[in-house]
Amino acid sequence: MHNPHPGLPELEYVKPASLEEASAFLVAHKGEARPFLGGTDTFVRMRDGFWKEKYLVDIKGLDGTNVITFDPAKGLTIGSAIPMNKVSAHPDVKKNYSLLAAACDTVASYQLRNRATIVGNICNASPAGDTIGACMAYGGVLTVFGAGGVRQEPLATFFKGPGKNALQTGDIVTAITFPIPPKPHSGRYMKLGRNKMSDLSIVGVTVLAYKDAAAKSGYTFKVVLASVAPVPFMAEAAQQILAEEPVTEESIGKAAEAAMQAVKPIDDVRSSARYRSYMVRNLTRQALSEVWQQVKS
Amino acid sequence: MATAQTKETTYIGVSKPRVDVREKVTGAAVYTDDIQFGAALLHARVKRSPHPHALIKKVDISKAKELPGVRVVVTGQDFPYFTGLYLKDRNIFARDRVRFVGEAVAGVAAITEEIAEQALDLIEVEYEVLPGVFDAVKGAEPGAPLLHPNLGDYEVPNFIFPVPDSNIANHFKVRKGDVETAFAEAATVVEHTFKVPHVQHVPIEPHIAIAQVDGDGNVTLWASSQSPFAQRNLIAKSLNIPESKVRVIAPLIGGGFGCKAGVTMETIPVAIAMKAGGHPVKFRLTREEEFYTNFVRQGLTAKVKVACDKNGKLTAIQNQMWWDGGGYTDYGVNITRAGGYSGTGPFNAPNIWVDSMCIYTNHPVGGAYRGFGMSEVHTGIVQVMSMLAEKAGVDFVDFLKMNVIQEGEKVLTGMTMHKTGIKDCIEKVAKEINWGVKDAPTAPNRKRGKGIAVMWKAPAMPPNAGSSALIKLNEDASVTVMVGGQEIGQGTFTAMAQIAAEAMGVPFESVKVKGPIDTQYSPYEWQTVASRLTWSMGNAVRNAAMDARHKILEVVAEAWGEDIENLDIKEGYVISYASEESISLKDIVVYGIPREGYNGWVGGPIVGSGSFMPSYVTGLDKETGQGDRAVVHYTTGAQAVDLEVDLDTGQLYIHRAVSAFDVGKAINPDLVRCQIEGGFVQGMSSAIFEEMRLVEGVMQNPSFVDYRIATTMDVPAKIDAYIVEAAQDDGPWGARGVGEHPMVPTIPCLANAIYDAIGVRVPNPPLSAEKVYLTMLDNGVVK
Amino acid sequence: MSVTRINLTVNGSKEVVDVPSNWTLLQMLREKMALTGTKNGCAAGECGACTVMLNGEPVNSCMVLAVECDGAEVVTVEGLVQDGQMDVLQQTIIDAGGVQCGFCTPGMLISARALLDRNPNPSADEVRAALVGNLCRCTGYIRIVEAVQTAAQASQ
Repeated sequence: MHNPHPGLPELEYVKPASLEEASAFLVAHKGEARPFLGGTDTFVRMRDGFWKEKYLVDIKGLDGTNVITFDPAKGLTIGSAIPMNKVSAHPDVKKNYSLLAAACDTVASYQLRNRATIVGNICNASPAGDTIGACMAYGGVLTVFGAGGVRQEPLATFFKGPGKNALQTGDIVTAITFPIPPKPHSGRYMKLGRNKMSDLSIVGVTVLAYKDAAAKSGYTFKVVLASVAPVPFMAEAAQQILAEEPVTEESIGKAAEAAMQAVKPIDDVRSSARYRSYMVRNLTRQALSEVWQQVKS
Repeated sequence: MATAQTKETTYIGVSKPRVDVREKVTGAAVYTDDIQFGAALLHARVKRSPHPHALIKKVDISKAKELPGVRVVVTGQDFPYFTGLYLKDRNIFARDRVRFVGEAVAGVAAITEEIAEQALDLIEVEYEVLPGVFDAVKGAEPGAPLLHPNLGDYEVPNFIFPVPDSNIANHFKVRKGDVETAFAEAATVVEHTFKVPHVQHVPIEPHIAIAQVDGDGNVTLWASSQSPFAQRNLIAKSLNIPESKVRVIAPLIGGGFGCKAGVTMETIPVAIAMKAGGHPVKFRLTREEEFYTNFVRQGLTAKVKVACDKNGKLTAIQNQMWWDGGGYTDYGVNITRAGGYSGTGPFNAPNIWVDSMCIYTNHPVGGAYRGFGMSEVHTGIVQVMSMLAEKAGVDFVDFLKMNVIQEGEKVLTGMTMHKTGIKDCIEKVAKEINWGVKDAPTAPNRKRGKGIAVMWKAPAMPPNAGSSALIKLNEDASVTVMVGGQEIGQGTFTAMAQIAAEAMGVPFESVKVKGPIDTQYSPYEWQTVASRLTWSMGNAVRNAAMDARHKILEVVAEAWGEDIENLDIKEGYVISYASEESISLKDIVVYGIPREGYNGWVGGPIVGSGSFMPSYVTGLDKETGQGDRAVVHYTTGAQAVDLEVDLDTGQLYIHRAVSAFDVGKAINPDLVRCQIEGGFVQGMSSAIFEEMRLVEGVMQNPSFVDYRIATTMDVPAKIDAYIVEAAQDDGPWGARGVGEHPMVPTIPCLANAIYDAIGVRVPNPPLSAEKVYLTMLDNGVVK
Repeated sequence: MSVTRINLTVNGSKEVVDVPSNWTLLQMLREKMALTGTKNGCAAGECGACTVMLNGEPVNSCMVLAVECDGAEVVTVEGLVQDGQMDVLQQTIIDAGGVQCGFCTPGMLISARALLDRNPNPSADEVRAALVGNLCRCTGYIRIVEAVQTAAQASQ
């Protein structure tokens, strides 16, 4: 029986002055404290009684979390506290990382995206995270401030299971960084929900493609699948088909079939596993066809 | 009885602006939760059953009482009386047995909502879990676990037929002609079993009620309510106190759709407040509680069999319905009755057999939901007619026109059908949707189709549900109309202002109709349900206005020494057609008129009163369902859609929806269109998205995250609404209601269109993208 | 549980408020300031009835802690009326017939106002996308979308 609190349970709000202080607090109150950004998942889980931490540590505004910068030589850095609407409206993001902007705009509602953050979306490690595919396809790397200093966590190895990630107690993600993407490239995020917009994804297919002389086919396609496995993942077999075989309607269909074979969806209240499997195939095929039309011309 | 009028009208049939909107757009409108009670306010939370069916062995509240900040803890032992709108089968808190997940077992009031919540964990309840009933059809079979062993002893009105020692809380029957022979002799027969899932109302405002009990035991309840008078009655019953000791105040309501009719959670704060020493006690459902503890639209299993002759003329209709009533059926038994006496849909056949059974199950409790059973009934009956027409080789629109009920024909219960515009509605939507023309899809991976559906619905209520109205005139000649019917968004206050203005002859702008409804001061109204206010309360307001008008004219006639027949009221002035004198109401409606030479006065403050109650509804025979007049009237209509199915995902793209309803007379045409549009979207939402996922009685999706309703992105760009007017003989200016009807035909309308598009039928809602896709996959439409 | 004193501006007025740390902005507005135009529909960031403007951008006020609003500028539906004049959206939503029960209306108006502030001439699709987080059960949305477009045209 799902019977959440009418409001938030009793909690203490902690606003540290520095990353060091925040990290130290989290370590000192291990199991009792949790960092939060927009709170859009945190508050819901606390009302549900699913998370029971006593302290919520607000890391918005700490060093580096509140800036978004683009360097034409190095790439894009998005502070962890930057809400999704700021990301998708940022001219450098729109120009150079349009797939990320598009993925942001599929999350929930406009007003929720004024609080929800990309880093929060990643740290929740939801199998359904809408922005994770774009972040993986663009080669995102997290900057983590932890007890042992600052380190980099590539997304490729960050997710450990539904709701589980590579962070340790006291770790605070301050930003996500992306290298300069291939120019030109074409990306597409196909999200299928029960409603046309605003739902969680039943299936999320992210595709990014660009010309690549190193690939036998002359193109590299990246395919990231969400909501169809414990964590979002790169569909490598599909990618390989399109790297090695000439890109045609047939090989795209073959890659889509390979994506379908690679997933391990579950039956849940949102969808059956069977429907998810077919949707992976159909949406991957659609997304690949669309980006192929753009990238080949 | 009021009669339809034909003379020219000033405010009837005119789209006057709503009277309740400025406050709503500025945030000034007061809803129940907006009333401020100050520091004395206590907050209530409820301990709920985690089991669908169990005996309560022990409830220990001692620890909860000790928690600092907790003021009151009550259990079922404190409140032994039964209540219920039709069948009296409920207590305020479960006493010896719980019958659905979420049923109230104990209540707590504390100084904050959070402390009350914490106290719930300290209440210990010992249960003995019992086998449950999770399927209505199985629940009706002999040997099923009995939910209410004392069903035979419950108090029940004489038109509800429980079957003692079973889970059948009501069995309504129609037996007319000989269906078996008709099926044997028919040219074409179709039979299909349909299933409609439980759905939820989803008002954006969750249920909320605040109660206060004074030292003399007088109860005041502020509630988001469609039914302040019914609640006064039911709460008094459940506490075994006289109605006069209960006062219900109902401010504006943030959506009801039936779930705020009757009583659901409102007795709980009252029960707690009785022990709270005069403190007001607020109880507000969380959104999650709103989903699974509130009234639900019952699930339905309907086995429908129909037959026609070689020309497509219907010869027999058989509809057997098992309604999943939930743990208590105090309201659900009458939905079952309505489903039964309207069980043919708006179709006519010489041979009819209907069984409509309300079955106790260990599911959430069924209650009124916009349409009162009709969406569920029409899901089956309209689709099966479409199947029959196809099998018989008759175009569906031709089939409909041949077989829908017509004026003068006997409906299934023996009542003679009144004037109805259903054929006009069918023709209108068929023409607008370009019926018979197959339009091309807009993309290669889509298929396109059209669907059409018809409907009927009668107000479902006790035979003698009454309305009343008071009208008082103020010094400035403004007119205050007092009613007991609630403004729930449908625009009834505006329609009543138009009716009063028209009947009195005063400017619309001078008429005020405002809440809150207060049982202590407002005149009686049975409930704001059943699409009955425009017709029933409209008659009462019209009668009150005519009464006030007559009193004014009597005064003037006496003062002027004129024949009252020569006097009239126009735009706030009394005029005489004989003397051509005129006088402003302002000068006379409170202070009267001086006699000539100030030789005394005539008149005084003018107050008009009016009431209305149908007097002609008869009972129906228990075994045959036959009687002279089962209902007051039927509102009819038709709907059509043009849609596409995405072959890659199964998603629907609705290009256009067209609806036409016979409202008798549209008092305010634009408000009628608002109901038709909003009703279509609610119907579409329930048809495509909505289903309470119940597993062993536990709802799996009790939140907006997983109970999806239509958003801005899901609705068609255009919904056309057409008004047909075949006057109702006893409606004000011929009006009858239309609030519920627009969503009634939507499920079969969409299902028929999907079938037209993909060639395979997806009969049972929700017609989700998943279900449509997998049906296409399993039938080779896609690979 | 701590109570924190915060300073903020609400509908143009400077306010000093003491708030418990688990209170949301929604609770503070409704229960401390009696700004009850902002509605509580789900307490989970899903229905949009509690939408207010926070530092110029719409948010679900049930998804913001009150203590986070120290120094912030908040506009609620009550703040859309200025000097007795309604916002053009308030008039167009009335005229379009976009109000029935009215419970979603305050949040809907805030979302729409925010849209027109950032995009003065939105297409119907842009209006729909901007309002997707504001659930309405009565109207069917179409008239609300029309009202926003009419307001945009009126403001051109």
